[in-house]
Amino acid sequence: MNTIPLHIAKYIRSTWMADTIISYLQIDKQGNLASWGGHPRHYGLPNLIMGQPATEQLCFLEGLLSVPHSQKLEFVNLGGDRYAHVHIIPSSDNTWILLLDATREHNQKQQMQQQVNELTLLTYRQSQLLQELETARRSLEEEKQKLEELIESKSRLITSILKETEVPPACMVSYTQLINKVEQAEVRTTDYLTSVKDNTNSLLAMIDNVLDETTLEMGQVALYTSSCDIKQLLDNLVSVFLPVARTKGLLFQVDIKDTVPTRLLLDELRFRQVLINLITNALKFTQKGFVLITFNWQWQTSILEFVIADSGPGISKETQNKIFGSSATDEHTSSIYPNSKLGLSISRHFAKLMGGELSVESSPQMGSIFSGFIQASASYTLSTKTGQDSSATLNTTILIVVDSPDVRILMGIYLEDGGYTVITADNGIEATHLALQHQPELILMDMQMSGLTGYEVVKQLRFQHFRQPIIALSASSLPQDHQYALEVGCNHCLTKPISPETLLETVKQFLK
Amino acid sequence: MTTTTVQKKICMIGDFSVGKTCLVARFVRQSFSEKYLTTVGVKIDTKPVNLVDGRQVKLILWDIAGSDALSTTTTSYLRGSAGYLLVVDGTRRPTWDSALNLQKAVSTQIGNKPFILLLNKADLTDQWEIKQTMVDEQTQKGWNLLLTSAKTGMGVEEAFSLLSTKMLDAGT
Repeated sequence: MNTIPLHIAKYIRSTWMADTIISYLQIDKQGNLASWGGHPRHYGLPNLIMGQPATEQLCFLEGLLSVPHSQKLEFVNLGGDRYAHVHIIPSSDNTWILLLDATREHNQKQQMQQQVNELTLLTYRQSQLLQELETARRSLEEEKQKLEELIESKSRLITSILKETEVPPACMVSYTQLINKVEQAEVRTTDYLTSVKDNTNSLLAMIDNVLDETTLEMGQVALYTSSCDIKQLLDNLVSVFLPVARTKGLLFQVDIKDTVPTRLLLDELRFRQVLINLITNALKFTQKGFVLITFNWQWQTSILEFVIADSGPGISKETQNKIFGSSATDEHTSSIYPNSKLGLSISRHFAKLMGGELSVESSPQMGSIFSGFIQASASYTLSTKTGQDSSATLNTTILIVVDSPDVRILMGIYLEDGGYTVITADNGIEATHLALQHQPELILMDMQMSGLTGYEVVKQLRFQHFRQPIIALSASSLPQDHQYALEVGCNHCLTKPISPETLLETVKQFLK
Repeated sequence: MTTTTVQKKICMIGDFSVGKTCLVARFVRQSFSEKYLTTVGVKIDTKPVNLVDGRQVKLILWDIAGSDALSTTTTSYLRGSAGYLLVVDGTRRPTWDSALNLQKAVSTQIGNKPFILLLNKADLTDQWEIKQTMVDEQTQKGWNLLLTSAKTGMGVEEAFSLLSTKMLDAGT
């Protein structure tokens, strides 16, 4: 390889020296400025006086002159806008200071570093903000959970109280029905008792509505679809409402179109409640004229349509927009007819849950037409007889475990009337003893007894290898409570109060 | 007879964007700018300080580029330093951790020199991320900590005066 020609080397050196704007300072052993050259003013070092202490004129040298070997300080700003690479070179008698311009290099590096630092700061602030958002979200989540727990706790309390409230009127209804059956009952006594029964039923309906509203608020409504004899359901409703209509002198008619199958798959309890709410309202507000009920079934879409038309006072457009709202949304209407409004709100909820809708057409003084529909497929299950085969039940023993004497006695009467042999217990310890001793074919177990609860008794019995069906009787209609009853070993769960028909049908089903 | 004013080199140490340059600008020129301009290398300033006890000192301020650790370049700037100000951005917790690490590294390089930890940006109290327990822990170790704000000037003069006093007392 050839060496660089001398004149080229000289050219490079002169160019480099021009670019670096070299300055030098010579400091003697005593620390005085011995000489200087180049362009110290370029670096903000004016008025240098030789023979004077260097560190007084060149403050940046404070503490730096005693270096044992050459040192380089990069990007030093001594004032002004120029940057230098400062080289400190010790020699035997002097210390040489070289200043080489690094302004351009500094500015390029500074630009890059600025971007990096700004990006780092931005990222940090973003992460802080995200953290703050996450903290706020968690805080809101905790608040929401607390509120939900509070609401649920409140709802559970209300449900519990209402359920307890339902038991006495339910017993009253049952006992009045039993008294009515006594042949010797006087006509007037029967009338009085019927009145007691009707009013108690109204009270029960109100409690049911409040309970359903609470359950809807908690978002815990579950549908229990089963094969329902729709005509029997309507016959039953007619038997309940016809006497009321007659008392008021109203025409009360139910028209079931031929298209409606005998049995449909639907939640009988909920659908029945929808109809009761609508018919009760129609009869309540209609003083003269009619209440007409029509049912039709669309086989193509499995839709059951129902219409309840009345010749009552009608409803203004403004009120129509409000009557399906929840009870808390309209103080005016809810304060006048709280249960009617609550009933309509719940009825629409149930209709929607059943895949349908509920609406109203009405004008003041022109009556009202409440029409709705639900999804209900035809069911071709053969209907079962409700009557009991006494020969089959004669030797069948059922253990009733309920701590309320009224309910226990009532259930005993129904079951004995159905031909079953009944033994009873009013607490968990006695129940365990009787169950293991008599090995009944079925147990009806109250889950919320004081002392040993039904849950604990069932667990104990299953542990002791008791294998017969156990039907839980629960005051709660919440799905999770029913599920828990099944988990501890029950075969089925009934929600109190329980009608005699439901009781006998369920017992029969599990004794097959 | 001429009296020579004592000169002391002090370094501004700390992570980037903690406010070292702003503190120097406030102390030397009584100025402040919201605009952030990162320092590359080192900026050298001087300022004479008259202490309350009558002593005088000329401070040579080395405003060193911020970093969370000492580099070879940064280490070369520390030579001859009589003390240093360790600066933390009170609104960024990581700069506290950087300062603690830097203090150990600086101490290893230049020995046990006087220093003061400055919790800067004290005007931004709503974004403050330094807990009192952290401060107490360092105070118990004998550290001097001051709240400063280059923006308002809070604690700035006190910081340089205190460090000057400590350096003169220590004879560093």
